[in-house]
Amino acid sequence: MSKYVKEFLHRGLVFGGFGPIILGVIWAAADPVLTGGELLLGIVSIYLLAFLQAGASVFNQIEGWSIPKSMLCHFVVLYAAYVGCYLVNRWLPFDWRVVAIFTAIFVAVYLAVWLTVFACVKLTSKKLNAKIG
Amino acid sequence: MRCEIIIDPTGEERVVVHAKRESELTRAICRLVEERTPQLVGYRNGEIVPLTPAQIICVVVEGDRVFALCETERLQMKQRLYVLEEALGDGFVKINQSCLANVGKVARFDASVSGTLKVKFKNGHVDYVSRRQMKTVKERFGIK
Repeated sequence: MSKYVKEFLHRGLVFGGFGPIILGVIWAAADPVLTGGELLLGIVSIYLLAFLQAGASVFNQIEGWSIPKSMLCHFVVLYAAYVGCYLVNRWLPFDWRVVAIFTAIFVAVYLAVWLTVFACVKLTSKKLNAKIG
Repeated sequence: MRCEIIIDPTGEERVVVHAKRESELTRAICRLVEERTPQLVGYRNGEIVPLTPAQIICVVVEGDRVFALCETERLQMKQRLYVLEEALGDGFVKINQSCLANVGKVARFDASVSGTLKVKFKNGHVDYVSRRQMKTVKERFGIK
């Protein structure tokens, strides 16, 4: 088994459990009326979402992959996991306009996070260059 | 003779002796430096080429082969990267799984669009710092 697949599974299994915990906190606050099936679906789907999100972080460390490829794979896995989870749980209706708005927000948030990371790396490069003189 | 030691983790390691004439002391210093300098050999089309760490810009792995990139040429090395990492010591830092950088030969750092740190060496070669090695690189250059 490739070390990256192992790392994907390891990260997914370590952090997957945090999904249902967060969901539990939200449910405790929102106090929704749920059937047993909805409860099970929510827990399983949010576990999978957390599993994929944690596992996908390994894409940025696959050194044989080009940068656009790792970014694209990371984005696609995250987007598919979120949309799939929200639609399955009916937190988003099956309406293309709603999905389009969700997609736009998702892209905006992804870009905002990327810009933050880029700014941090830029700052680090500045500090390192100052050390080089 | 006055002795001055300048500790600079980012600089090139070298010993400079200012003396009025060659003496037993200067010869002893030279011998000591030579003894303590790793003796490496690279291969240029099968021909053995002696190599000192100061000549190496960085060591890279390409496929299953290891190359030392120098100012104007690249020499194949017989050792594995982790062996060279140990032999070359503190003057070099591993910046990703397949590159060992000579700290004193880094020209500048830049942020890349992927959110990783790009390294430009003095010979123009460009590589990057993997997220895994970021902490080590920052420590080696004396920043937190």
